[in-house]
Amino acid sequence: MSTRKLSLKDKYRILTRDLEWEYSYRDYREIFKQEAFEGIKITDWSKWEDPFRLTMDAYWKYQAEKEKKLYAIFDAFAQNNGQQNVTDARYVNAIKLFLTGVSPLEYQAYNGFAHVGRQFGGVGARVACQMQSLDELRHVQTQIHAMSHYNKFFDGFQDFTHMHDRVWYLSVPKSFFDDARSAGPFEFMVAIGFSFEYVLTNLLFVPFMSGAAYNGDMATVTFGFSAQSDEARHMTLGLEIIKFLLEQHPDNVPVVQRWINKWLWRGTRVLTLVAMMMDYMLPNKVMSWKESFEVYFEEAASALFKDLARYGIEMPRYAETAILEKEHVSHQAWSIFYNYTHAAAFHTWMPDDKEMDWLSEKYPDTFDKYYRARFEHWRELERAGERYYNPTLPMLCQTCQIPMGFTEMDNPTLTAYRQSVYQGERYNFCSDGCKDIFDHEPEKYVQAWLPVHQIFQGNCGGPDIEDVLGDYYRINLGVDNMDFHGSPDEARWNAWHNLQPAEDKLKQAS
Amino acid sequence: MTYQVTVEPTGDLVEVEEGQTILDACLRQGVWLPFACGHGTCGTCKVQVLEGDADVGDASPFALMDMERDEGKLLACCARPECDLVIEADIDVDPDFLGYPIEDFQATVASIEDLSPTIKGIRFELDHPIQFQAGQYINLHLPGVDGARAFSIANKPSENGIVELHVRRVPEGAGTGYIHEQLREGDTLPMSGPYGQFFVRKSAPEDLIFIAGGSGLSSPQSMVLDLLEQGDVRKITLLQGARNLSELYNRELFEQLAEEHQNFSYVPALDAPLEEDHWQGFSGYVHEAAISHFGGQFAGHKAYLCGPPPMIDAAITALMQGRLFERDIYMERFLTAADGAEGTVKSALFKKI
Ligand SMILES: Cc1cc2nc3c(=O)[nH]c(=O)nc-3n(C[C@H](O)[C@H](O)[C@H](O)COP(=O)(O)OP(=O)(O)OC[C@H]3O[C@@H](n4cnc5c(N)ncnc54)[C@H](O)[C@@H]3O)c2cc1C
Ligand code: FES
Ligand SMILES: [Fe+2]
Ligand SMILES: [Fe+2]
Ligand SMILES: [Zn+2]
Repeated sequence: MSTRKLSLKDKYRILTRDLEWEYSYRDYREIFKQEAFEGIKITDWSKWEDPFRLTMDAYWKYQAEKEKKLYAIFDAFAQNNGQQNVTDARYVNAIKLFLTGVSPLEYQAYNGFAHVGRQFGGVGARVACQMQSLDELRHVQTQIHAMSHYNKFFDGFQDFTHMHDRVWYLSVPKSFFDDARSAGPFEFMVAIGFSFEYVLTNLLFVPFMSGAAYNGDMATVTFGFSAQSDEARHMTLGLEIIKFLLEQHPDNVPVVQRWINKWLWRGTRVLTLVAMMMDYMLPNKVMSWKESFEVYFEEAASALFKDLARYGIEMPRYAETAILEKEHVSHQAWSIFYNYTHAAAFHTWMPDDKEMDWLSEKYPDTFDKYYRARFEHWRELERAGERYYNPTLPMLCQTCQIPMGFTEMDNPTLTAYRQSVYQGERYNFCSDGCKDIFDHEPEKYVQAWLPVHQIFQGNCGGPDIEDVLGDYYRINLGVDNMDFHGSPDEARWNAWHNLQPAEDKLKQAS
Repeated sequence: MTYQVTVEPTGDLVEVEEGQTILDACLRQGVWLPFACGHGTCGTCKVQVLEGDADVGDASPFALMDMERDEGKLLACCARPECDLVIEADIDVDPDFLGYPIEDFQATVASIEDLSPTIKGIRFELDHPIQFQAGQYINLHLPGVDGARAFSIANKPSENGIVELHVRRVPEGAGTGYIHEQLREGDTLPMSGPYGQFFVRKSAPEDLIFIAGGSGLSSPQSMVLDLLEQGDVRKITLLQGARNLSELYNRELFEQLAEEHQNFSYVPALDAPLEEDHWQGFSGYVHEAAISHFGGQFAGHKAYLCGPPPMIDAAITALMQGRLFERDIYMERFLTAADGAEGTVKSALFKKI
């Protein structure tokens, strides 16, 4: 036998856990102030099992290699005018939504993991969170770089960070992460590490990445693969935190259960944006939202919760509603965005006949029954030159901040509407899930920055909608917003490909 | 032509025959590597090549991505060396694993005994002594039966000239059917072993719980006999489950041991006792007997479970509800060809459960 080298396990231990020191002159509780206030009981951090064994030296080497490949492909994409080879210009709106709605979440994740990476008394958990934090920073950077190419040729990409902080629909993902980051460190880990990165991540990334693959967007596909190669680590961290909390103390079980209920519901609400993207924004469809929900949520979650049942954890409280909603949410969300496209930084459109038929086929129980007639009506209006835009401002759910457009599942024609009164004020919710979340911590959610309220209160640039959209949101009016048909994006695309404008086609058709 | 493979971080040397996989050679020469599917689909056996070249074989592109191939990663279960190699494996050297080499034996049937209406006890004499850890199993090759069949060794390791097996007849099972109907004293069969990671973590200070169902008494019997022979002083509890009294075998052996060793307790449980059994002991499933015996509190133990998959499953749930978790639970599932057929989606929450 040759001389013994360190095993990966020992190497990881020496380069991570061994960096810990004894706290000799400060009290532990003073150093890790946030560890106890959530009601979580930790009895023994040494029981933390490192979810992965990637040491820093290997990490830099590995990630640098990934970057090299990734940027080589970005360069090739740019040199080959890859933007001209996507299926059609409507597709680009899906990645506008990604850049404004999702990439900033990568940045929030970077912030959040850096923060909790300081808060845990266990060094193993601290190091794992810090590593994930670095990954997330890499994700946001590579995404911005990938999209910057599209910014040269399409509208709506230019002010994504500014928009993320202000625009009404972007407050949905933003407030989701703000909620998690302003919670305690363990709740953050259950919210983001477990619920988002483990349970829901496939529902977020697979649709965007396979959507990109099906629509000729190699830049997005490649950053997707590159990010996904980090995700196995994020998922194992999410699982470890759950196991660790549940094993540390029986009193943790009900706390964790409540967080799982809350965050899986909050997560599915955010994923509404992905649902409509899949069903409506991809010129080449991958699969329906309903199908991907069945594979990535129903199947995967039932296996997971079967295992979690051994710890006394039950299926998340609102899973049943979420499952019923898979038939509806994409259509309802697209309706909302179609109504308010004048206030959005991307374009919408009504599906053409072929797309309507695809929706009927994928949603045999709901599309024709509840949505087709409405969509055909809107299409008629558009053909008559009266494209419908909703001139009012919608009421938002106090918790998820989505306009109140979801319906009751036992009567899909009735808008779901819940209320709570707190300190004499009335608050409105889209669902039982959102109401229960509020009721448990009203003092937190009364502080929500609701875009519509803020407009009415005069905090968003002025009284006129143009003030809000133009100056405050920085939407280029008449360029970034409004229907795809007649947009500068469409005109440019048609010029590249010598195509007839859709408007003319419509006129010929009618 | 053979190639020499050095396995880091332990530095073990393994001789790999032309055409042999790295995993097969390692296992046969007592170097344990993590593996699961054994045919390139799960990625569990991934290793890093530090020096040399190998043919990656039939590795699935999902289990071994292009990028990993570029980095010199291999799946040991399907890779074949093309020259001498140095590889690095993700091995936690379990201080209690002795890593006895896997060998081939000629095993001659010395006796066949009816332990119960469905279980036969077979004693084989070996052509040369076997080194194994109590709890491990062998593979048996039976005439006219495709592939090997796994059975756990029931005798203690100090009896190294023999192998005792407890074989339950599986309905419509080819191999167990042969053993029950055609196997005769004096027959000689090819056997290989020892295999498996089911053994007593002797360095762990905790008291031990053994839960056995049906012919799953085999491994725990070997483990308990071994511990007692070595004068282990920790508390040892053996819970044995059977349907009824006629299926409960070797009871006298363990009652005797419980009398002789005050650190050893024996709890038999019958889940469907017959009236003529006049059963005074615990009635119910063996995991229920464990809950009742330990007052539902298992923390601070190491538990070893052996037997049919549904029994293991129920026992794990009982233990976890009594706050004993994966790191303290070891198990050998008596899988049959029927068990793999379900193909259910598995979450990644647990490693071995
Ligand atoms: C590590 C280990 C240790 C073990 N130790 C012991 C022990 O000590 N004692 C003991 O009694 N048992 C033990 N077993 C279980 C034992 O190995 C099996 O019972 C044995 O392999 C069955 O072989 P067989 O040829 O009789 O049955 P098989 O012919 O392999 O069939 C088993 C069952 O599966 C069905 N079946 C066959 N093929 C399929 C298919 N493709 N799809 C669906 N169903 C199918 C058959 O009808 C039958 O019911 C152990 C198992 C393992 C894995
Ligand atoms: S053991 Fe599954 S891939 Fe090698
Ligand atoms: Fe990320
Ligand atoms: Fe991630
Ligand atoms: Zn809501």
